[in-house]
Amino acid sequence: MIEIQSLTKRYKDATVVNIEQLSIGSNESFGLVGNNGAGKTTLFRMMLDLVKATSGTITINGKNVQGNDEWKKFVGSFLDEGFLIPYLTPDEYFRFVGNLHGYNAADLKSFLEKFEVLFHGEITGKNKYIGDLSKGNLKKVGIAASFIGNPQIIMLDEPFENLDPTSQIRLKELLQTERKQRQLTYLISSHDLNHVTEICERIVLLEKGQVIKDLRGESTLAELEAYFKA
Amino acid sequence: MISTFLSHSYKKFTRSVSFEKELAKGIFMGLLALMVVDYSLALGFALEGIITNQLHQPDSLGFVNKLLLYYFVAEFVMRYFMQNVPALDVQPYLHLPIQRSSIAHYLLSKSILHVFNASVLLIFTPFALTVVAKQWGTAGAISWLASLVLLSFSLHYLVIYYKKKLDDSLLGMAALILVFGSFAAADYYQWFKFSDVSSFIFNRGTSASILVIITIALFTFLYYLNYGVIVNGMYAEDWSSEKDSATEWGKYSDWQFLRGFGTYGEWISLELKLILRNKRPRSFVLLSALLLLYGLIFYNGDEVQKMPGFALFVGMFITGAFMINYGQLLYSWQGGHFDFTFTRPISVRQFIESKYWLLSASTLAAFVLSLPYAYFGWHIILAHLVMMIFNMGINVFIIMNMAMWGPQKIDLKKGSTFNYEGVGAAQWIMAIPILLAPYVIYVPFKFIFSTQVGLMAVGVTGLIGIALRPYLITLTTKRFTDKKYEIAAGFRKE
Repeated sequence: MIEIQSLTKRYKDATVVNIEQLSIGSNESFGLVGNNGAGKTTLFRMMLDLVKATSGTITINGKNVQGNDEWKKFVGSFLDEGFLIPYLTPDEYFRFVGNLHGYNAADLKSFLEKFEVLFHGEITGKNKYIGDLSKGNLKKVGIAASFIGNPQIIMLDEPFENLDPTSQIRLKELLQTERKQRQLTYLISSHDLNHVTEICERIVLLEKGQVIKDLRGESTLAELEAYFKA
Repeated sequence: MISTFLSHSYKKFTRSVSFEKELAKGIFMGLLALMVVDYSLALGFALEGIITNQLHQPDSLGFVNKLLLYYFVAEFVMRYFMQNVPALDVQPYLHLPIQRSSIAHYLLSKSILHVFNASVLLIFTPFALTVVAKQWGTAGAISWLASLVLLSFSLHYLVIYYKKKLDDSLLGMAALILVFGSFAAADYYQWFKFSDVSSFIFNRGTSASILVIITIALFTFLYYLNYGVIVNGMYAEDWSSEKDSATEWGKYSDWQFLRGFGTYGEWISLELKLILRNKRPRSFVLLSALLLLYGLIFYNGDEVQKMPGFALFVGMFITGAFMINYGQLLYSWQGGHFDFTFTRPISVRQFIESKYWLLSASTLAAFVLSLPYAYFGWHIILAHLVMMIFNMGINVFIIMNMAMWGPQKIDLKKGSTFNYEGVGAAQWIMAIPILLAPYVIYVPFKFIFSTQVGLMAVGVTGLIGIALRPYLITLTTKRFTDKKYEIAAGFRKE
C-alpha cells in the first residue's frame, strides 16, 4: 500500500531521514517509535507531501504522493494543531471536513455518534471555538476528523499525548474496533510503548532517521524496552 | 520589582527571534516619536505668533480655550488609532510571590511613557509661560497647564479602558459613533456651540485651580478603573478562556448559499469565517468600507472632470481596497492551518481558484457598493468599471503571485493596532506594480489617442486577463506547487 524507496531528507549538513526501503501493507497497523529528533514527524510529513524529500520516493497505491492529490481522498491524518482550524467550532469543523468528503447531515451525525464516548460531552454542541479548547480536547477533535471519509490509511502523531487516562483507554478501544470492522491501515507514532505495542502489530524503531529495528510479535515490547534502557 | 519587570521586557525584546525586525520597527517608531516631539515643540513656540499674527485674534488665550475641546477630541481619535493596550505576559509571574497590585501599577505607569503624553506639555508649556502667566499670574498658568496635562493623561487611560472593554464589540462601536455623531450634529445644527462649551470649561481665569481638582479626580477615577480591570483580568481562565467564545461576530458568518458552489464554496465560506471572526482581517474589511468613501474627497471638485486618469487611481482604491489589503497577506492568514489545507481533498489548483474567486468577488462587491458615485457623473462609474475589470484580470494575479514571496504566519488572535506581523518586504514592494500597472496601459493610449481610448485600453487589458484566466491560474498553481514546501516550512517556524 505504502512504498518508500531510498528516501532521504537533509537540512544543510544534517540528515534527518534516511530510509533505504520500507513497505507498509494494506490493513497493517504500523507503529513508529524513536526518541526526539529521530525523524518520525518528518517522515510522516513527507508521506503527506508537506515536506519535500531530498531524494527518493514515497508511493501510496503505486502513485507518488508528491504533486498528486488523489491520496488525499483516502488518507486521514492528524499530526498537530496545524491540522485544525482555530476559528471554527468543533461542529463547524466536522461539518466542513465532512462536506469535503461528501457527507450529508445524517452521515455526519451517525459518524460523530461513534466518537461520543471519546468526546465525553465536551466537544460537540458547544458554542466554543477550537482555538479555545484544551490540548486534550484539541487532540480528540483532530483524531475524530482524521476518520471522516472512511479513509483506508490513518496517520496519527502522538495520539495519546495530553489525553486523560479514561480517554486514552477509550481511544485505544475505538482504534481497535474500527480496524476490526473494515480494511484500515494505521500509522501511529508514539512515545508510549505500552499503548503503541497494544495497537500496532508491527513497530519500526527510528534512530537518527534510520530504521534500526522492524519488529513483530510477542517480544516486541521487551525488545523496545531493552533498546530504550540502553 | 519594577526594575526586574523592565529588565525582563528588555530581554524579551533583545532575545526575540525576530529581533532585527523588532529593532527596525523600534527605530522607525522612535523617529516617528521624535517627529511628533519636534512638531509639538515647534507648534508650542509658534502658537502665540500664529494666533495673533496669522489668525488676527486679539485674545489669544480665549481663542485657545475655545479650541481646546476640539484638540482633545482629536487627541482621543489619534490615541484610539495609535495607542496600544499595555501588555505584559503576566502569566509567568502570577504563581510567584509578587503582588497583583504591583504588576498592575507597573503596567499602568509604564504605559504613561508614551510620546502622546508629552505632546500636550510640549505644545502648551511655552504658551502657558508667556501668555497665560501674563494674564492669570503664575499660579493660574501652572493650574491651567496642569489640568491640560491631567486631562490628556485621563484620555490615555480612557482609551486603554475603551480598548480593553468595549473595542471590537458592536456596542462599543455604536457608542463611539453616537457620541461623535451627536457632537458633530450639535455643532452643525448650532444647538449649542462646541467652542462655547470649551471656553466654559477652560477659561477659568485665576480660579483655574478648580479645574486641577476636577481633572485630578477624573484621572484618579480612570486610573483605578483600569487598575480594577487589570487586577480582575489576572486570572488564568482569561487565557485558557473557559468562556463561550463564539462571539457576536461569529453569528453572521454562516453563508449557506455558498454551499451551492461545491468545494470552492466550502473553502470560500471558510475564509469568510476567518475574516469575520478574527479582529485583524475584520479591521481590513472596515478599512475597505471606509475607503469606499474615499471618492467623496476627490469627486467633489473639478479636478476629476479635468483628469479622468485620477478617477482611475481613486477607482483602484475604491474597488480594490480589500483585494489589495487582504490579498497582500493572502497565504499568511491561513498559515496556522496550512498543513490541514494540503492534506484534505483539495488540489492546489482548487485552492488557488478559491482565492481567485474570493478576491474577485470582493472587487465586484466594492464596485456595486460604489455605484452611488453616479451622482458625480457616469464617467466615474466608467472609470470604476474599468478598474474593477483590471483588478479581476491583472491585479489579482499580481497579488496572488507576489504574496507567495516568503509569507509568514499570522497569529489570528492578535489585534490590528500596529500589528505588522506577516508584513515583509514583499508587501511593500507589491504596491509598486499594482499602482503602476493600470498607468502603464493608460498613459500611452491617452497621449497617442484620447482619454476614452486610454480607459478602453485598461479595460480591454483587464478583459484579456479574464479571458486568459484558466491559463494564468495554471501558471500561478505551478508556481505555488513549487513553493509549497518552502512556504509550509516557513509557517511551522514560530
